[in-house]
Amino acid sequence: MPTVHSKQDVALMAHLLRRAGFGVTLQELDHCLDQGYEATVEALLNPQPDAVPEDLIRRYHVDQSDLRNHAAGAAYWIYRMVQTQAPLREKMSLFWHRVFATAATKLIQARMVANQLDMFRDHGMGSFQDLLLRLSRDPAMMMWLDNQDNHKGSINENYGREILELFSMGVGNYTEDDIKECARAFTGWRVVNPDYMSIRMRNNTARPYGYIAWQFEYDDTDHDHDDKTFLGETGDLNGADVVAVICRQEATPRFIARHLYHFFVADEVPVPQWPHTAPRDSQAIDLMCQAYFDSDYDVSAMLRALFNADFFKSEAARFARVKSPVEMVVGTLRLAGGLELPSPDTYAAVGVCAAMGQFPMNPPSVEGWQGGSEWINTGAYVQRVNFASRVLSDPGKPGIQAIIERIRDLANGRGLSAEELVDACLHIVGPLEVPDSTRGGLIDYARSWGDVSFADAASTAQAERTIVALLQLVVTTQEYQMV
Amino acid sequence: MTTATFQLQYTDTIGFVADQGGRGFHLPMAMVIRGDGRIFVVSRSNTQALDIVGIQMVTRGHEFSGQIGGYGQEPGNMIWPTALALDRDDKLYLADDYLQRVTIYGRDGAVQSTWGTKGSAAGEFDGPSGLLFDADDNLLMVDHRNHRIQKFTRHGQSLGAWGAYGDGDGQFNLPWGITQDREGFLYVADWRNDRIQKFTPDGAFVAKFGASGDGDGQFNRPSGLAVDADGNLYIADWGNQRVQVLDAAGNYLLQLRGEAKLSPWAQEYIAANADELAARATYVPVFDVDTADANEVSARIEPYFWDPVDVVLDDDGRVYVLETSRHRFQVYEKA
Repeated sequence: MPTVHSKQDVALMAHLLRRAGFGVTLQELDHCLDQGYEATVEALLNPQPDAVPEDLIRRYHVDQSDLRNHAAGAAYWIYRMVQTQAPLREKMSLFWHRVFATAATKLIQARMVANQLDMFRDHGMGSFQDLLLRLSRDPAMMMWLDNQDNHKGSINENYGREILELFSMGVGNYTEDDIKECARAFTGWRVVNPDYMSIRMRNNTARPYGYIAWQFEYDDTDHDHDDKTFLGETGDLNGADVVAVICRQEATPRFIARHLYHFFVADEVPVPQWPHTAPRDSQAIDLMCQAYFDSDYDVSAMLRALFNADFFKSEAARFARVKSPVEMVVGTLRLAGGLELPSPDTYAAVGVCAAMGQFPMNPPSVEGWQGGSEWINTGAYVQRVNFASRVLSDPGKPGIQAIIERIRDLANGRGLSAEELVDACLHIVGPLEVPDSTRGGLIDYARSWGDVSFADAASTAQAERTIVALLQLVVTTQEYQMV
Repeated sequence: MTTATFQLQYTDTIGFVADQGGRGFHLPMAMVIRGDGRIFVVSRSNTQALDIVGIQMVTRGHEFSGQIGGYGQEPGNMIWPTALALDRDDKLYLADDYLQRVTIYGRDGAVQSTWGTKGSAAGEFDGPSGLLFDADDNLLMVDHRNHRIQKFTRHGQSLGAWGAYGDGDGQFNLPWGITQDREGFLYVADWRNDRIQKFTPDGAFVAKFGASGDGDGQFNRPSGLAVDADGNLYIADWGNQRVQVLDAAGNYLLQLRGEAKLSPWAQEYIAANADELAARATYVPVFDVDTADANEVSARIEPYFWDPVDVVLDDDGRVYVLETSRHRFQVYEKA
């Protein structure tokens, strides 16, 4: 006898799985409800490695083996997000990709961004100090912010500036001198064969034999060993020392916590306004900062505090954010199911995300995507609706079959009214709460397809068509675009 | 382990990334050498460079003779080319995994016919991934998603099949390449079982070589393979990014990791681009890498094989190793 869960429990669990992942299927929801809320949070924070059939992917999609091509790299990532058993880890990769924005367009080879995302998967929910140090050694980041041009006696301050302004503390918490000292600390941090790799990147050429993947290299002879004074600390500081100093600052967890709040809870103002605008919820930021210091800078501890807090769980927080294009596309593909390997659907998903303004692996600038209401305009809405409607059009997909089976169980041998059918679909896809006018429109549409019954083969086939048609309309609602 | 009585010496690299057209290959999948020395290489390319999908023609002397076919579903074109073979009359056969068909080209490169039906019934196939003409000039096809080998006449009439899914003797898991020795024995790269299987010409199981791993004689997804006059097997150990050589009894002899130098086409390109010429002079491959992932290692070290997908021998015993992700093939000779 399956456990019956309250409507409130179901709604809260669905909220967690939407925000900490990419939406929820019926099977996942049932499993998590049996497990309980806090245990689900722990499971999300401590996932097992995904079993990725890399051999099959590389055999059938050779462009995802060399990963040079941007569309191929993004399709590979979309596939990973759709297939993952560790949705929070994948979502945190998306989070760090937004904060530590690095674009394949400048780097030319998507492989380097893919490698950076692997690093986010492996370390994105661990120690922030470890993550920031790995980011500082990441070849894609080195080339993205020109650290191969940062030499002893001739600094390039790009990375030294951005690690403070955009990756850790935010404007107002350091001086221009700190930026220069920070850059000096990172002199000699570069990739192997920097001159040749830079020219090839600048010339956008794969010639003669395809791209050569970059590897981090530390050149001590090019490192400035003179004393530096950074945020009040003086010595022969190297990059790792600077990272350690940054992580000790109160401003660092406040900055990261505000990003986490914006990504997982509710929209914040754009980052450039943060020095002049208080956070929406200062207590929420304080809570995550405390977790950061209590745990020796552990990102998971900040996430645990966030997901278990009332400000996250509250009904006011639910469906309060616009789904990003990636969230909408991946969530819909997960709902439909049946994606065993990268397919034309994953390449199409990349195109749709790009058309809606979020080309994975290609953030528009070093500041990443702001998101929020800017994701929705008339053209983008049409793109969303068309994609979701097309993906959900095949009743043979396992996810659609599971929905049909659930509705068949609900019918329990009798016919379903249009009202019952609409409510069931809204519950399964969300649960979504829609205005009466929207619900009325859906009911009228369902009624136009006739009665739903599973009495015989013919009526079952008709019921499947009706359910698919109704799902295709449900995903056009404003509520489905929210998370 | 058996001591090899010969070594393989690197002699040449032929190729260039033709991602924007012109002379070279782009993500090549298979190659075959005609008796007159013409070498056919089929490029799959990617969605951003569909003009390069086709069969490029070159010689060992670096002469480039253009391309047969192109991207598309029309007769003569292709989507996911996987394998090439030449029949006794030097007609060229191409297998296409996506279109589920075989295309036949005449000596002049003109398409002559296509055949094939997707399915699992006799004579149907699902994912042709290896082609070979046997001593009787019948076409052996690795029907990989049906986990079997099929025999056809040159015109596509079914002559039988053997194999099924599994890891037992004579069973397969997504096999890839096929070759035949002078005595008529057949060898199949049993890709996802990480082994080579040996059969009589009629498909009776004889032996199996290898197991999963990266040690000597072990494999990680072997793809293309060839056999020389002495029965030595040359196997593209695709997942391990190397070529392994076994003797006729399946004993490990030696392996190659790749040592490509700049081909004449590559040299001409670099010489014509002054900034890259100057920067290339500073370039020194670094072999000390901080990853154990063989695919990533190959991505970082240009002379190494990267996705060695096919091995072909010419009449003089030269060994040609085709690399998908480096858009070239390396040539080795016995020493």
